[in-house]
Amino acid sequence: MTRSPKAWLAILAAVALLPFVVRQAIATEIWIFAIFGLGLNLLMGYTGLLSFGQATFFGSAAYVAGYLLKYHGVSVFLALSIGIAVGAVSAALVGYLCVQRSGLYFIMLTFALNQMFYFTAYQWTTVTGGEDGMPGIPRPNVLGLDIHSPLAYYAAVALLFLLSLWVMKRIVESPLGKILQAIRENEQRAEALGYNVPRIKLAAFVVGGAFSGLAGVLYAMLFGIVPLESIGFVFSGNVVFATLIGGSGSLYGPVIGSFVFIWLSESVSSMWARWPLLLGVAFVIVVLFFRGGVVEAWARFWAWRAAHRGPAGAGADGPR
Amino acid sequence: MNFALLFSQILNGLATGMLYALMGIGLSIITGVLNIPNFAHGALFALGAYLLYSVMQLIGNFWVALVLAPLGVGLLGVLIEYGGIRPLYKAGHDYQLLLTFGLSLIITEGIIIVWSPVGMSQVPPPLLRGGIDLGITFYPKYRLFVMLAAALLVLGAWLFLEKTRYGAIMRAGIEDKEMVSLLGIDIHRLFTAAFALGCVLAGVAGALTAPIRGLNPWMGVDMLGIAFVVVALAGLGNLLGSIVAGLLVGVAQSLVALVWPEASVAVIFAVMAAVLLVRPQGLFGIR
Repeated sequence: MTRSPKAWLAILAAVALLPFVVRQAIATEIWIFAIFGLGLNLLMGYTGLLSFGQATFFGSAAYVAGYLLKYHGVSVFLALSIGIAVGAVSAALVGYLCVQRSGLYFIMLTFALNQMFYFTAYQWTTVTGGEDGMPGIPRPNVLGLDIHSPLAYYAAVALLFLLSLWVMKRIVESPLGKILQAIRENEQRAEALGYNVPRIKLAAFVVGGAFSGLAGVLYAMLFGIVPLESIGFVFSGNVVFATLIGGSGSLYGPVIGSFVFIWLSESVSSMWARWPLLLGVAFVIVVLFFRGGVVEAWARFWAWRAAHRGPAGAGADGPR
Repeated sequence: MNFALLFSQILNGLATGMLYALMGIGLSIITGVLNIPNFAHGALFALGAYLLYSVMQLIGNFWVALVLAPLGVGLLGVLIEYGGIRPLYKAGHDYQLLLTFGLSLIITEGIIIVWSPVGMSQVPPPLLRGGIDLGITFYPKYRLFVMLAAALLVLGAWLFLEKTRYGAIMRAGIEDKEMVSLLGIDIHRLFTAAFALGCVLAGVAGALTAPIRGLNPWMGVDMLGIAFVVVALAGLGNLLGSIVAGLLVGVAQSLVALVWPEASVAVIFAVMAAVLLVRPQGLFGIR
């Protein structure tokens, strides 16, 4: 993390400029998705746990907090806290079953349990609205401040994003973060060193779920609706894609990935109703030709430049 | 409760359960031999149904269609393995997942473009229309046929894997890939064959399902999750386990549909969660 100040400056500049470059709603969505990606990256990039069920926590939090905002008029702070708690608790439930298996079983279980939550939301129409989603989510004032204008809400979300990024940075640099990376590198060895690997994986799951929950509530308040898709597996796949395209295993990877993904999907979705086809093609192309994502391509570029300019330190601490 | 209704629901559960087992076995072979997560398995199932529909439109013979449609899916499987999966064997599950997930989006959207975004229906062949009196209840012939056909296919898969040389190689591939290639067997050909076989099984499950549930582009989504459930409960490469797991969730689903239809899909995953709560390593505790 030697280049950290530079990265923070770049992110602050992006936060300041983005709403004037793209539509404010899209700019807001980018940072929300980045929070979502930060949570997944703790699992995928730092612990080596490939979860294909992150929408479970995102969607559950969005539904519960959305319901409370809509029918019980709770405050934004309470809604966010409850959302984070719902994300963490649902992740604890799902994680408890998943961390006992590894590898491909783990991936399949996260997906299958995601489907369980999805079909529950799909059928429980009296509460969730089923296929139509749960509309009419309000965006109440925060400490007397009106956040109804897109720019005000953008500022609030951007602030929470920066906070999330800082918290995540502290987590991955903490002893827990180091243990997670140790598990990623060599699970048996971490176990042999006396760490309770399943419990630590579960801890990562819960933290990742909390981030997803926060993102879910912000998403519901951004669009004023909790769409059924927010708990669906496509959403889980999208965040995996965004994190990979940015470069998993680096703190800023999901941030870059979210930027690329939201911008990409917003531009193609307005072009053609069958845009998931283009998204699928993009997945295949990235996987076949651009593995390692933007961050690694960037690091490779700098390493290449350094190599051509004489002796210099190697590139950034690249992913895996 | 009406006993005849209960009986026919159990039969329904057994018929869909056999289809689930078929999906699970196909996925198990792919996942076990190639060591990849196949998120396109559901889309391949849907493609099998649509190919059956089209061959029926062209030729009008159900039996020919029932053979050609899965073979078409298998052929696509060969192309996918060769062009997409092969470069990724060393790339890690994350990229393999993204590739197969991307392929499933492409296949689903392709179905919408080529066929139609709205659902379609497919009638069973004349021979299998109508019902048959089982004494307790009147039951559709086609569903009995599906039960029988799926059972025969599972038996065929079992005979292939247990009794033939190629099946032995495939099982060995699930156990220890390095040893297989050390023995001088072309592991790449094995991978292609295993992927194609898994695709054929998904395709035939889709083709058999079409006259029961009709067709829609997203019909594979539930099936993907169910196939995962079967594999998670049964363990990779465990055929008998796949049948038990498939029938378990199939019957549970159709019984719940009787009392609480809204929960009938979610219950599949709830059954899995309940089993894993008691037995984290699955029904048979493999790996």
